[in-house]
Parts: sequence; structure tokens; C-alpha cells
Amino acid sequence: MTPFPTGSGGPLRSAFCADPDMRELIDLFVEAMPDRVRSLRESLEHARLDDLRRLAHQLRGAAGSYGFAPVGDAAGRVEDQLRNIAASDASAVEQVKAAVDELVNLCRRVSP
Amino acid sequence: MNAASPGGTGTPRRPDEPRQVVLIVDDSPDVHRLLRIKLRNLDLDLLHAYRGDEALELIARTEPDAILLDLDMPGIDGLGVLRRLKENDRTQHIPVIIISGMKRAEDKVAAFEIGASDFVTKPFDLTELRVRLQAALRLRQLLSLLAHRAQLDGLTGLWNRAFFEERWTQEHARAVRHVHPLSLAILDLDHFKSINDTRGHPVGDGVLEGLARILRRESRQTDCPCRYGGEEFALIMPDTHVQDALLVCERIRSGVEATVFNGCEGMRVTVSIGVVGASAQCDLPPAEWVRAADANLYAAKNAGRNRVVATELQAAGPHAPRLAA
Repeated sequence: MTPFPTGSGGPLRSAFCADPDMRELIDLFVEAMPDRVRSLRESLEHARLDDLRRLAHQLRGAAGSYGFAPVGDAAGRVEDQLRNIAASDASAVEQVKAAVDELVNLCRRVSP
Repeated sequence: MNAASPGGTGTPRRPDEPRQVVLIVDDSPDVHRLLRIKLRNLDLDLLHAYRGDEALELIARTEPDAILLDLDMPGIDGLGVLRRLKENDRTQHIPVIIISGMKRAEDKVAAFEIGASDFVTKPFDLTELRVRLQAALRLRQLLSLLAHRAQLDGLTGLWNRAFFEERWTQEHARAVRHVHPLSLAILDLDHFKSINDTRGHPVGDGVLEGLARILRRESRQTDCPCRYGGEEFALIMPDTHVQDALLVCERIRSGVEATVFNGCEGMRVTVSIGVVGASAQCDLPPAEWVRAADANLYAAKNAGRNRVVATELQAAGPHAPRLAA
């Protein structure tokens, strides 16, 4: 797998990285990030807003519990925006793009 | 979970259910993975569902002891699942802890109004979630204990009439399905009214308790002794041929005859017993078994009381000749 570029800003570490119970979990969570980033970008590119909302919703629930609160917050902003946009709205993708970029950027910074 | 046995002598007893089961319902695999690790030190079996419909199906099949439920899921959402659980008698007392990213007060109010027992917002503090789950499981244990108590007869500690009806239907169905032998006895104290009238009701109650003790002592672990009502008792004997049931009941009858009950000195206290059993396929419905056992009980009464009358039930045909009383 090609190394994925870290986003702007330094690596983002879990608030629970000192917890031995969490080590293995955090590693798994971080390993899954490149796939998630790809899914987020593809959903946005193809305007699959339902997929995008589900991905954001899952990240919102999970990221904070893994100690990555900023990722959870950013995912929450994407989800909230999508909730308020009608699927038929032609400019939906434009409206949500900035929030998704912010989320993707944070996801790329997530480090074990 | 272990429901307490009513008597110290081992019967009646329920099959042991060793570990409590907790179902986790969330659409995010990350949440499942996290909880699996964080709850592994609790002595629990975990079940996992990722969708509302999947959760309902699992709950109906396994009746978990507690449920951790996400609200926002594709398909049937968390509140929908909760509503269905609360509508169903079998699932309405399972404690449900909502785990949700929704922080608005109205979401919490809606969940509690439907019947959630607790609400934890994501991202959750896992230590907090763990103690809340333990509190919910304790509550579940107490509720089960209460439900268990509601199935017991207050005076004798035997299973009560309601439990008898339930268990009898189950044992009957099991015996029919597997073509196992099955026997049923109905017992009635002889001249109980005159004990109450001449010696007083506390003495009468003591006789009922004494009979319950003899029933427990003389029946086997797998038998199910119940107080049917008043001075009538019932004994379900699964996997028992009528000849063996007759032996058990004869022990009970002679045990009662040989006992001097408190306050009954100088008085003969005896019991009459009607027994029915089937060893091969018997398609008589459960209520007919009870009626047939009752008929044998009255035959025992008419033949002079203090005796056992037993009949082997045949498939659909007329009753066979009675066995030795």
C-alpha cells in the first residue's frame, strides 16, 4: 500500500494512547483510515450523499471513543450539514465539500 | 443468571443459565470492536447486531439480559427497536441503555418516555459505560428474582398454579415431540376441611407446609411439585413411566400417613392421589391429562381415600384398566 500523505498539520494522536487496553484498538482504527478517506472522497465525487452521511455518522460515533475527538467533531459537522440539505439540491455537493475536506484532512493526520 | 431455588432441598429448580448476555446494537463496527475489548473483563457473553431488524430478530431468539442500543441506524432506528421491545411482554423488561451521538434533550426525553433505562452519549467514557451496564444488569437480576417469586406459592414455597399451567404445557409438548414418557399426579389432602374446623387454620397451614416438605423429599430432582390450589397439589414427572410415577406417589402417600403433623396429634392425616402417565405416543391434549388425573383422584377418594390410583393413557383410545391402587 502506498503511504498516504498526512494532511496539513502534524500527526493527530489518540487521547487514550497511554491506555494499554486501547493500543491494539487504536492501531486497528488507524489502519482502517486510508480506506475510510477513500470512501469519503469517492462518495463526495459521485454525489452519493447517503453513503457520505452514513460514513460521517459512523465516524462521529466512533472517533471520539477511540480518543480522536477532533475527527468525531468534524464528522458531526458533515453529518449535520447533510441532514439539512435536500438530496435533490443540485448544489448539495458544493455546500458540503468544505466540511468533508476538513474531515478528510483530519483523518489523514490520525496516527497510532 | 441463577434464579434462587425456593427450597433448600434442591427442588423446584430451573436449569442454570450461567452467564448474562448483553446485546450491542450499533451500525459502526468500530464501536463493536471497542466494546468487545472494553467489556471483556466482565463475565458476560456479548452478541452483536449492526441493524435494527437484525437486532429484533436476535432479541426474539435469545432474550438478552441487557441491550446497548444506538439510536441513529439505517432501516429501523433505535427508537423503533425500543418501541417494539416495549410492546412485547417477553422483552419489555430487558434494560436498554441508549448509546448515541445525539445530545439533544428531546432525543433523551423521547428515549426515556418509550422506556429506555439509561442514556450514554458518544463519544463515551468506557469506564462510565461499564458501571452503567453493571447497574442495568443488577436491575435485570432483581426483576428476574421478582418474576421468579411471583411463580411461587407463598405458604409452601412450591411452584404456584400459574407456573404449573405454563410448565405442564411445556413438558407435555416436549414429551409429545420426543415421544418421551410423562406422568402427572394430582394430590388432595383427605378431610382437610375438618382439620381446619377442629384444629384451626394455623394447624391446617402447617399440614399444607408439611405435605409440601414430603413432596419435595419424595420426588426426584427433575420432578416439578406445585400447589394447585387450596389443599390440592400437582406433581409433574417428566421422563417417567406410570409404573415409576406410581412408586413415587406411593412413597408420598405413605410418608404423609406416617407423619404426625403439628397440632394434629391423635388424628390421621392422609392424602389421596390420582396419577396418569403415557409411555408411547399419546395425543391427549394437556387439559385432558389433568382431567384424567382428577378422575383418578376422585376414584381414590371414592374407594376410601389414603390411596393412589394410576392409569396408563393410550393414544386416542379409551383409558386402560387402572393399575393397582
